[in-house]
Amino acid sequence: MRASSLLSECLAVLSKDLTAELRSRVALNAVGLFGLTTLIAVAYQIGPYRIQEQDRPFLLAALLWIILFFAATSGLSRTFVKEEDAHTAKTLRLAARPLAVFGGKLLFNLILLAALFVFIVPLYCALMGYAVAGVPGLVAVLAAGVCGLAGTSTLVAAIIARASGSNTLFAILSVPLVLPLLVMLIQGTRAAAGAPDFAVVLPALRGIVSLTGVTVVTSIFLFPVVWHD
Amino acid sequence: MTRDQVRTTLHWLLGIWLLAVIAAAFFYAPTARSFKGESARIVFFHVPQAWVAVLAFCVNLIASLRFLRRRELLDDARAAAAARLGLAFSVLATVTGSIFANVMWNSFWNWDPREVSIVILLVIYAAYFALRQAVADDERRAALSAAYAVLAFVTMPFLVFVVPRIYWSLHPDTIISSSGAIKSQMDPRMLKVLIASLVGFTGLFVWLYTLEVRVARVLSARRAQEV
Repeated sequence: MRASSLLSECLAVLSKDLTAELRSRVALNAVGLFGLTTLIAVAYQIGPYRIQEQDRPFLLAALLWIILFFAATSGLSRTFVKEEDAHTAKTLRLAARPLAVFGGKLLFNLILLAALFVFIVPLYCALMGYAVAGVPGLVAVLAAGVCGLAGTSTLVAAIIARASGSNTLFAILSVPLVLPLLVMLIQGTRAAAGAPDFAVVLPALRGIVSLTGVTVVTSIFLFPVVWHD
Repeated sequence: MTRDQVRTTLHWLLGIWLLAVIAAAFFYAPTARSFKGESARIVFFHVPQAWVAVLAFCVNLIASLRFLRRRELLDDARAAAAARLGLAFSVLATVTGSIFANVMWNSFWNWDPREVSIVILLVIYAAYFALRQAVADDERRAALSAAYAVLAFVTMPFLVFVVPRIYWSLHPDTIISSSGAIKSQMDPRMLKVLIASLVGFTGLFVWLYTLEVRVARVLSARRAQEV
């Protein structure tokens, strides 16, 4: 198997998904509107002044990740569910190798999450009055969060597409797997918001990166089982 | 001695062992200092329950990996049996832990990292069964649930070992502490009872697990005859 041909297959799957998504915008609308609605609800009820000063670092970090995670769950499963709904999964099985399909779908989820984060995080900081002391640290934690959430959820999306395609099942299966990641992301965000020094986010980043690596590698091995069961 | 006789003897021995553990937990082990009243005695049952919940998770992983390699439905039945027992023992560990927390800290739930880790284990087991119920086809159900079990297993070390070290915990350090040193502050008699209880609960798990697998084997043979 040549690496360049695998990469080109992978990019072809990504390009197909991006083209389809830009035509329909179902996943983009789902994650964007879910995130925006939740953010407005939180900002309207809590806003920048209703949290006491000593609780702000932890509560604001936790609220940010709750909004981002639940917005993400509304769209991450779609990448595989739509193939089963449109009966294109069989063609995709013939056209590309499992590793290329997994890689393409993972990249699509990464782009979808990155778009969500770019849209929601600045709005959240503005509406909630979230002053971040260490912006490079926060950017690193957010980037690691995009990779972690996409890495953990892509295989679960494939599983639920082969099971029932229900978005509820996606949330049920992914929440327990994502929880350690969310705990570390909240910890990292709180650290980045509190101090300009990049070193303060390193303990959380180490955990996030290692968890992401472990889940992505495991998913690569398991994906053919799920895809060709 | 026939196989059935060996099995019956082992069951009796297990019963006697567990009765001895219960008696020792109340009459042999001394009252623990720095705990309220006799509350520490629940540890002799709570810790082995949590241990069996984790052991069941490991057995579930091994059976799932065997299924992925050999594609035999009996391995899937083994994985499901381990998960069922794991679910039951994680519920028991959560309930006993909550009772102890209420006595010690006047609250049934304190969001301690180790409390959360056992609850997440419980939720993973519940999600595993939600997935199994969503798939009608036997082969597909086995493959998907095996894949989920393996993926869930690789995230567990982060919850059990990494997160409790990021957050402060009400639970004492394990015998191998976070710094890597081996230590135990437990009274030797208490430690003996705890180890005996761990052995007893492991035996109980093995017995229940083999029982479940034998039932699955019988059901599978009956289904094959019907076909």
